Amino acid sequence: MTHAESRDLLLELAYGELDAARAAEVERHVSSCPECREEKAALEEARRMAAPVRELEEPSPGFDDRILRAARAQAQLEHDGNVGEVIEVTGSVRPLGVDVARIDAHGPVKTRSAGRRRPLWVVRTAVAGSVAAAAALALVVGNTLETRRNAEKAAAARSSDFEIRVQPAAPQAVDSALREAEAKKGQDDLDRKASEVAGAPAPPQEKNDVGVHLPLRKRAPSGVRIQGSGGDASESQAKAAANAKKERAAAVENRSVVQAGGGALTQKVTEEKPSEGNPSGGKLSRSTPPAVPLRDVEPPQTVAARQETPRPMAGAKAYAPAATAEAHRSLEAPAVEANAQQARHAGNYRVAAQLYRDAAAMRQRENDSSTAAWNLAHAVECLSAAGQFVEARKVRDELVRSYPAEASALAAAARALREVDVPAASSSPR
Amino acid sequence: MAQERTDEELLAAYQQGDPGAFESLLRRYRAPLFTFLLRMLGDREKAEDLAQETFLRIVKGAPDWEHRARFQTWLFTIARNLCVDQSRRDRFRRADSLDAEGKDGEPPMVESVPGPGIDPERGAASARIRPLLQKALLSLPAEQREVFILREQAGVPFREIAEMIGVNENTVKSRMRYALEALRKALAAAGVSEEAAAEEPAPGVGLGRA
Repeated sequence: MTHAESRDLLLELAYGELDAARAAEVERHVSSCPECREEKAALEEARRMAAPVRELEEPSPGFDDRILRAARAQAQLEHDGNVGEVIEVTGSVRPLGVDVARIDAHGPVKTRSAGRRRPLWVVRTAVAGSVAAAAALALVVGNTLETRRNAEKAAAARSSDFEIRVQPAAPQAVDSALREAEAKKGQDDLDRKASEVAGAPAPPQEKNDVGVHLPLRKRAPSGVRIQGSGGDASESQAKAAANAKKERAAAVENRSVVQAGGGALTQKVTEEKPSEGNPSGGKLSRSTPPAVPLRDVEPPQTVAARQETPRPMAGAKAYAPAATAEAHRSLEAPAVEANAQQARHAGNYRVAAQLYRDAAAMRQRENDSSTAAWNLAHAVECLSAAGQFVEARKVRDELVRSYPAEASALAAAARALREVDVPAASSSPR
Repeated sequence: MAQERTDEELLAAYQQGDPGAFESLLRRYRAPLFTFLLRMLGDREKAEDLAQETFLRIVKGAPDWEHRARFQTWLFTIARNLCVDQSRRDRFRRADSLDAEGKDGEPPMVESVPGPGIDPERGAASARIRPLLQKALLSLPAEQREVFILREQAGVPFREIAEMIGVNENTVKSRMRYALEALRKALAAAGVSEEAAAEEPAPGVGLGRA
């Protein structure tokens, strides 16, 4: 062993990071090298002097309480096997103040329901330490009218029929005034639309459903781009109006529809009692997904399985990732994006990230910088959600390098990494 | 249970819905994590806040955690990054203070000094040294301090520290060398003697001096 090698390994030696053979080699060199001996001695002296740094200190009593409460609530929330009462709202939503894990606001969201311990969502909000201010779901009292003849009866039934409307979640980072304005506008639209639909002539025995269409991916953003892939509310509303008409024809009894766009699932949601703003008060069920392009990418039984089996926290990862990634290589960018989104909603963040990166490359070839940048931003979000922070940073750096002008995509990527991000100053070598 | 479960096994059990597993992890890491933050920040209250925040983030992130990463690394990465955030906040709030600027015109990670709160049950030498040590730690550039504490107190290997903070291993080791040297000098200047040091718990490895 050379002097330089040995000197380089003195720290590892001091901290026991070398295997026995290597340690012996270094020791052998040190015993015959005054310089190394001196340095080793200095290291050891410093460590001895600084030894109290290792004495453990205890936090104050009660330190654990809040953490354990959060941990139990989360375990319960995630592990509640009674999936019949759990909806998985897909899309960029923050339902009823239930805090979507900030790690990935677009990932699977589960909402518990039906008269169970109602504090769960409250606790979950506490977990995040964030507020329901950005709540993106509004309960709107029923436009599910029996018939126009039975208006009174319907009024009585109102207490049991709610529609959950989904709007894109507003990010904390977005200027709050902007956010409020946006939310208000969205709500106004919803209210207007709701009354339109409720008041529209409907065939007897038919119920009126209102679908809110959420384009989760758009190429040309108009208005505010919300939280990565939220899409913008005004477009949602326009499409929703069209959908509402279509869906009225296919309306099924006692049902409201929350439709997330772009191949995501359609949810049926029925509230049992008017517990305003309380998501745990309702009974939620899932309707058949609509036939949308790329739906067949995910085998139907996956959806069924998700409904019927108790799911562990990481359960959604059962979705076959490799096959998915492979199968989509030959597709066009929008299809790849849709698949990425689907993988993301299934919790397959790494697959999703890869697909988003593929899609970004495709968009780049099409000279669509804006969408390419957003795809990279989504990849960063997914990697962060998967805990792949090193990789996430790499993609973020690529995004910064390639699309410095795409401010909102850059901001989304930065948000995704804010939990673990390091200021440039402290990561540069000294 | 015959054998103690690893951190990763516990976290996996928690992912499967066993809150007791998380409790075990918390019990295992509360003191080391709190100590880490206390040494980094020199302020009990802030350290406690950030330690809680760290665990809460673990709770939130648990569903997406993948077994490939060591739990300990994840835990200390979060804590370390919270320290960085804290320093950024402090930087905005900082009043004009003479020694507020670090060496390269960069602000120190924190300005707070250790509170009293010395445990009387500990050895007299240790009790005397700890405040001096904390002061010496806080005088280190943040980059050196975090590397030193992560390695010396948290026991994170150099390679993992490099991953955590996003620099290469040689950089980590050179920061560590600077930190050790600076601490040695600062403590010696503050009168921490060899015999006082000898009362301290053994550093574990490499004590035998020729």
